[in-house]
Amino acid sequence: MDLQLVLNGRTRTVSAEPVEGGHRVTIDGETMTVDAAAFEAWSWSLVFPGDGHATATVGLSPAGPTGDLHVHLAAGTVLVCPLARTRRFGRGDGDAAQAEGAQQVLAPMPGKVVKLLVKVGDEVTARQGLIVIEAMKMENELRSPKDGRVTDIAVGEGTSVEAGRLLVVVE
Amino acid sequence: MPASFRKVLIANRGEIAVRIIRGCRERGLRTVAVYSECDRTSLHVRAADEAYPIGPNPPRESYLRIDTIIDVARRSGADAVHPGYGFLAENADFARACRDAGITFIGPTPEAIDRMGSKTSARAVAMDAGVPVVPGTKDPLGPGLSDADVARIADGIGYPILIKAVAGGGGKGMRTVTAPGELAGSLRAARSEALSAFGDPAVFIERRVMRPRHIEVQLLADHHGTVIPFVERECTIQRRHQKVVEESPSLAVSPETRRALAASAAAVAARVGYTNAGTIEFLLDENGEFYFLEMNTRLQVEHPITELVTLTDLVHWQLRIAAGERLTIDPEQALTPRGHAIECRIIAEDPDNNFMPSPGRLTYLRAPAGPGIRRDDTGAVAGTDVPVFYDSLMAKLSAWAEDRPTAIARMTRALDEYDIRGVRTTIPFFRWLMTDPDFRAGRFDTTFIDRALAERNGRPFCEVPEADERVALAAAAIHLLTQQATAPGVPPSGADSVSRWRLQARVQGLR
Repeated sequence: MDLQLVLNGRTRTVSAEPVEGGHRVTIDGETMTVDAAAFEAWSWSLVFPGDGHATATVGLSPAGPTGDLHVHLAAGTVLVCPLARTRRFGRGDGDAAQAEGAQQVLAPMPGKVVKLLVKVGDEVTARQGLIVIEAMKMENELRSPKDGRVTDIAVGEGTSVEAGRLLVVVE
Repeated sequence: MPASFRKVLIANRGEIAVRIIRGCRERGLRTVAVYSECDRTSLHVRAADEAYPIGPNPPRESYLRIDTIIDVARRSGADAVHPGYGFLAENADFARACRDAGITFIGPTPEAIDRMGSKTSARAVAMDAGVPVVPGTKDPLGPGLSDADVARIADGIGYPILIKAVAGGGGKGMRTVTAPGELAGSLRAARSEALSAFGDPAVFIERRVMRPRHIEVQLLADHHGTVIPFVERECTIQRRHQKVVEESPSLAVSPETRRALAASAAAVAARVGYTNAGTIEFLLDENGEFYFLEMNTRLQVEHPITELVTLTDLVHWQLRIAAGERLTIDPEQALTPRGHAIECRIIAEDPDNNFMPSPGRLTYLRAPAGPGIRRDDTGAVAGTDVPVFYDSLMAKLSAWAEDRPTAIARMTRALDEYDIRGVRTTIPFFRWLMTDPDFRAGRFDTTFIDRALAERNGRPFCEVPEADERVALAAAAIHLLTQQATAPGVPPSGADSVSRWRLQARVQGLR
């Protein structure tokens, strides 16, 4: 099961499969084994057997009504935005492009719309750049989660956006 | 003449109300809490023996209503009132209203509050007591003075000067003037700001001490003429003139300077016949010279660090002094620091967004514990909102240890344990501060934080290294997939978002 998770403006393909001793987690092709145990509804104790059995305690909290998550680590808190749930088609096809229904592309962090790369009605393919957001002095290109058509653009060039703001809808 | 009392009304809210209620219980006194509408289920209400509503949320309709509070005192039979800090704590009219109603005000007399509440009047008291003050005008600047007159006064004091509001505090109504040409304009701006912030446009002028340290001396004074000053507090770390971190003792204060500061503080207090708890603030310059700045005629936010390094319970003593007891604290013990204490104010503000208040719903809270950790908090729990009507102080976190480096290590450890979700807090800022080399070396003045923030140029405090990003993604992925697969536990508020997610997954036919 692949997830498209946006963190710091980059979309990562993440999967987690239950295996003996925990989960095998793959992030953009790189794999690690994690022993993850929830000690509260939204709090996880992680142990990494492949990394000297290092521990990490991770808390989660909802970041808004759209399923985004604040992930609280010892070093700080990051925003993780699930873009779309996609079905894996065969081995090696990490980013399936056939998610059903309208997919919302949301601002992963506060920033400013620098450039719109598409307009309403355009046909787009999965991972095609849709919009460029400037945040924390970097430009982040947000990509389409699927093949489809742009049905809605909710912002314009120069719009300041907060985290979670709807930007583009691809159907 | 003070007499003993049995029931104390705490005219405040939040952490200080909880602190005072605890002290009262330990002294066998009955407690009465007052609350605005949104504070109905606050910890201070639940911790008190009796509780009365006092009005809608805005302070001026509740916690600042002298008439309502005196009325509650009468109806509840409270024979003493503790004002805490802020709100009516330094309001002489409130102290007078208590006195007129035959209620013991746990604090100084209305006359002392009046005399030391006005900054120019307080400076005059200090000068009369033979305590050095920052060179400046003895009286507020008359509104009828011409620009030329003011310029002459400023020349006499010597640039750079600071224009300050007589009725002011917290940095409002203050302007620095480095050259005579700016004087008239800055004066107008300061007066206008003072008028809108405090209702009084009166200002005065002081020499601006460059790169000073802000050192304050806690004292207790009884009704029998005894004044006890304590080991100083170092409050130099400020952001826009608001204290952010306090510690005791100060690295910059030698034992000799400590005694000199203590003697000066006691002299000022004696001069006005001060009673109960109070704090004298000084500026310490680079040469070790100190100058009286002002007096706070109340218990202060940062009092816990003094309690930690001098083994004193200041609230107990406030209650005992108000009941007429004599101070039996050994003056030498009060001036001998035991170990080192640091306090960080955990505030619901976003340090990555210019410390903007971050009110909202608390979805999770786990507070630190363990050796050397003292926490005075509002008692807020997950599922409640951090209210917008009052200051957004959530907790004071104090770390005590045998020496300063260990206190810093302990504070760091405690900050790591602090897990607050749902609102942004100043915790990431403090975690950075504990690692800063200048802070660790004790090299700072009142401009330190503002300069350090400017140097960061917007770089966020919440910086998560790349390696940790993978941990975050792994946890998020496992969480999402597990939530989907199993029956839900009971998540805190925000359940809406989880069920909508699960609904969407079901709609998309995924498992």
